[in-house]
Amino acid sequence: MFTLPQKNFRAPTTCLGPTCMQDMDSSHGDDLEGECSRKVDQKLPGVGDPAMLSSGTSYLSSRGRMIKWFWDLAEEGYRTYHMDEYDEDKNPSGIINFGTSENKLCFDLLSRRLSQSDMQWVEPSLLQYPDWRGHLFLREEIAKFLTFYCKSPVPLRPENVVVLNGGASLFSALATVLCEVGEAFLIPTPYYGAITQHVCLYGNVRLAYVYLDSEVTGLDTRPFQLTVEKLEMALREAYSEGVKVKGVILINPQNPLGDVYSPEELQEYLVFAKRHKLHVIVDEVYMLSVFEESVGYRSVLSLERLPDPQRTHVMWATSKDFGMSGLRFATLYTENQDVATAVASLCRYHGLSGLVQYQMAQLLRDRDWINQVYLPENHARLKAAHTYVSEELRALGIPFLSRGAGFFIWVDLRKYLPKGTFEEEMLLWRRFLDNKVLLSFGKAFECKEPGWFRFVFSDQAHRLRLGEQPTFPAQSSLQPSLWPLLFVPTHHAIGASRPLASPF
Amino acid sequence: MSENRYRGAGQPAEACTATWSISHWSDTHPVPSGQVLRDQSIYTQLLEMTLHLRQTVRKHFVQLMSREGLLQERRHAEAVHEQGALLDRLLCQMINLLQSGATSGLELQVPLPAEDSRGDVRYGQGTQLSGQPDPVSQMSDCEAAFVSRDLSNRGIDISALYQSKSQDYNDKNTLGFINLGTSENKLCVDLMTERLQESDMNCIEETLLQYPARGGQPFLREEVARFLTYYCRAPAPLDPENVVVLNGCCSVFSALAMVLCDSGEAFLIPTPFYGGFAFSSHLYSKVELIPVHLESKITAVNTYPFQLTVDKLEEALLEARLEGKIIRGLVLTNPQNPLGDIYSPDSLMKYLEFAKRCDLHVIIDEIYMLSVFDESITFHSVLSMKSLPDRNRTHVIWGTSKDFGISGFRFGALYTHNKEVASAVSAFSFLHSISGIVQHKLCQLLQNTEWIDKVYLPTYHFRLWKAHKYVTAKLKSLEIPFLNRSSGLYVWINLKKYLDPCTFEEEQLLYRRFLDHKLLLSCGKAYMCKEPGWFRLVFADELPRLKLAMRRFCDVLEERKQDLRVKQLEPPASQPEAPACHLLRYPLMSASSPEGRDVFLSGL
Repeated sequence: MFTLPQKNFRAPTTCLGPTCMQDMDSSHGDDLEGECSRKVDQKLPGVGDPAMLSSGTSYLSSRGRMIKWFWDLAEEGYRTYHMDEYDEDKNPSGIINFGTSENKLCFDLLSRRLSQSDMQWVEPSLLQYPDWRGHLFLREEIAKFLTFYCKSPVPLRPENVVVLNGGASLFSALATVLCEVGEAFLIPTPYYGAITQHVCLYGNVRLAYVYLDSEVTGLDTRPFQLTVEKLEMALREAYSEGVKVKGVILINPQNPLGDVYSPEELQEYLVFAKRHKLHVIVDEVYMLSVFEESVGYRSVLSLERLPDPQRTHVMWATSKDFGMSGLRFATLYTENQDVATAVASLCRYHGLSGLVQYQMAQLLRDRDWINQVYLPENHARLKAAHTYVSEELRALGIPFLSRGAGFFIWVDLRKYLPKGTFEEEMLLWRRFLDNKVLLSFGKAFECKEPGWFRFVFSDQAHRLRLGEQPTFPAQSSLQPSLWPLLFVPTHHAIGASRPLASPF
Repeated sequence: MSENRYRGAGQPAEACTATWSISHWSDTHPVPSGQVLRDQSIYTQLLEMTLHLRQTVRKHFVQLMSREGLLQERRHAEAVHEQGALLDRLLCQMINLLQSGATSGLELQVPLPAEDSRGDVRYGQGTQLSGQPDPVSQMSDCEAAFVSRDLSNRGIDISALYQSKSQDYNDKNTLGFINLGTSENKLCVDLMTERLQESDMNCIEETLLQYPARGGQPFLREEVARFLTYYCRAPAPLDPENVVVLNGCCSVFSALAMVLCDSGEAFLIPTPFYGGFAFSSHLYSKVELIPVHLESKITAVNTYPFQLTVDKLEEALLEARLEGKIIRGLVLTNPQNPLGDIYSPDSLMKYLEFAKRCDLHVIIDEIYMLSVFDESITFHSVLSMKSLPDRNRTHVIWGTSKDFGISGFRFGALYTHNKEVASAVSAFSFLHSISGIVQHKLCQLLQNTEWIDKVYLPTYHFRLWKAHKYVTAKLKSLEIPFLNRSSGLYVWINLKKYLDPCTFEEEQLLYRRFLDHKLLLSCGKAYMCKEPGWFRLVFADELPRLKLAMRRFCDVLEERKQDLRVKQLEPPASQPEAPACHLLRYPLMSASSPEGRDVFLSGL
């Protein structure tokens, strides 16, 4: 859903709650905190003002203040966006959002399907308190659906399914029931940054990063490759810092890299996890958004034998694959009944409406529509949008990564940073925003190298193109939404000292 | 908890200790040896042990100090000796728990000693002070009692708590059980089904399928503000900016507890109260609820049963503060659940002023606000007040679950004048979000005040009134005292006369007996009621089901009457042995006679 357009989000994340407070005093917390408040002071007067963190004027508890401060920071970029959102008719010069990973390509198909009469069903049991794991009819449908689309060798079972109102809730619940306060999950970076908040907000669980490089070295065959050695190293490091690691989070297809793990790699990571008795949370929320068939995506549920089935937990949702992030539907599949029950115990707080549960069951049941209408069309549109954007990038001579899965391209703008720092990355991000384009910068994904950006391409062509945009100078050969990309180096070449000032 | 149970202070020390130790062990280790202890958390274990320990230490010193009664010196020494042994044993157990936790790595849940390792519950003369269990053998016992390695301690705790609270509701309901325990409004399903199928309900817009704004879609927040302005009779239009919508009132409460309190801090709450609060404050936010105990007896200060007064609030606050607790707020439910009481504007004002005086937030849950079915009674929402004593510390919760009978919709709203609080709570909206499609339906539902005023509410209130009339007439004919109120979906009934002795243990047995007859009620203990014997009976169900339920209800009570008659005929010595261990655990607390007439019969 959304990433953090603020450089300094790490400190507050690991700083929620009592454990985090202690951390601030420890050696590695110190400088972060200092840096944090300074930056905030300079850049965002009024927003997340550290003065709010003092108890004098506030009605909130200290964790309440921390949560609010943190979220205000996180939403800064989005606030600017929401105040000046692009709209074809009402605000044609508004900001275009290429930062939020949403699939806006298939609304026509979805609205037609969701308006059909089978979706309008209302019956008493849907209006009353449900089984907190989710209605049985839905869990049965999910089990069948996942068996089919994940190509599971055996039929998956409804009792291993738990239904929640979105992936955020699921991360939160899993973190809470698998970890104690202050414990951690390993996660390879760059990764979908919002997970940081999901596991922290209620659970007070942190993430231990497995930093990956863009440079291909040693036995690696591609940029940002995850290997067992890197996992081992990160685990050792976490232990040496006294952080107890309880599991690994893998996102497959990967966000923001647009990459997939091969079955062999997946197997290796799972064996690694088993060796260290770690849980593995596999987030497969983009599983049906693989639009290049050559990619050869395999779900973890398709593996013949899971090394440690009791510690392997799979997530899926309709937010991405069915372009319905506003519907709030996610599901957990785990063979571990203790984990399923514990997550279900929290579902009173993360439940979704019975009517929506019914609609989801109808949708997932309709294989004809999914296979013959929705998926082919969705993939074709994703592919077209991807081709369009990647060709533009090639024309601009901008390197990027994207292998044909997900909604995004991981763009390398390092050459546009005068200095390879995250401050410069932030300035460039701001420059885009000033030019009415919202992107996500690499720091929000905890990328180790400054200068990477995520560009979401799953949007309508007219928004991608914006040919008639009046605010942009008429340069017919260039697509204005990509125009700022080209503008940046020119600007630096003439040595402008105020990068924040908009040239327009 | 333990204080309630062991109020039998006037009893001989020996007997007291004996019952105490038995109850302690059977309480904390309900699972036979060898069986997997999945549901136990080391924290609850340790907490409970520490509480027991504290109490024993107190008793121990009382014993040591009291030198009167020289004749009983030997007995006195024995008691001291026994308590000493018990103290040692408890400490040893706690050390064991901690040790096994440390040695088995953080991920291994700390196992508990098996029951058979402590056969000598009495600590008789043979048991010496040195007779503490060998830690090593304890440990191997522990390993036998293996518990789930996959969950965190809090995960285990959450599962256990959840299962203890809800298994009856979920599992039993499908097997022909009639559920008069869950407060659900099943009276207007026909109206709602019809309304929700109307064409305005079905709308698929692009924004509804995309990530919602923090705190809820603006159109829904605007509608909620309008709705509350109208139905709460707010003196000025309420501000949509002050509304946060989440997927249920329990989510709102949970998020409020997170942002108003730090872990370990507390709210005051008058008892009996809706048990869901305890659940919601414990699960994520670890906020404690300090009960303000109310009594059913009418006295000089209590002009009606379970009256909440500022004095009682003051007293509870003082006591809690003396114990070092940090109290951040007061939780009120109005209309009250389970009592069905409605606070008068005057009393409400007094509570609010008390809170202001003591710098407390007030969370007011008005989820039953439209479920007042007697026209002669006016409900005054806190939002209707001309001026609130402390606007920035008053937070109102409302939802559609009860008033519209759509608990499966998952919708709850917060209204607070405090923008800072609204903003902090809305940070949780991604974890408690509502589907865009449902937000649209809710907006349509709340918008149509004509249908609500002309069709829905009159029908709903009439049906509530009729169901209430049916149930209360039955109760009267059975001579069962109850609180006769005209709001909410339930009656609070007193079955004390069917308990002998009048203990929570007996209350639980009676509850089980209802279950045996496929009838689900909620017992007073679940509402932290101080007096055993109270039950909440939900009547918002259709008549045929209610009739069957009341027949089962009568059967159980008739059966119980027979039992009690037989019991009274038998000489005390030959009391049945089988359930004796249960009874033993709870020394007689109050000698309330089953025949004792309650002062407040129906009609209040």
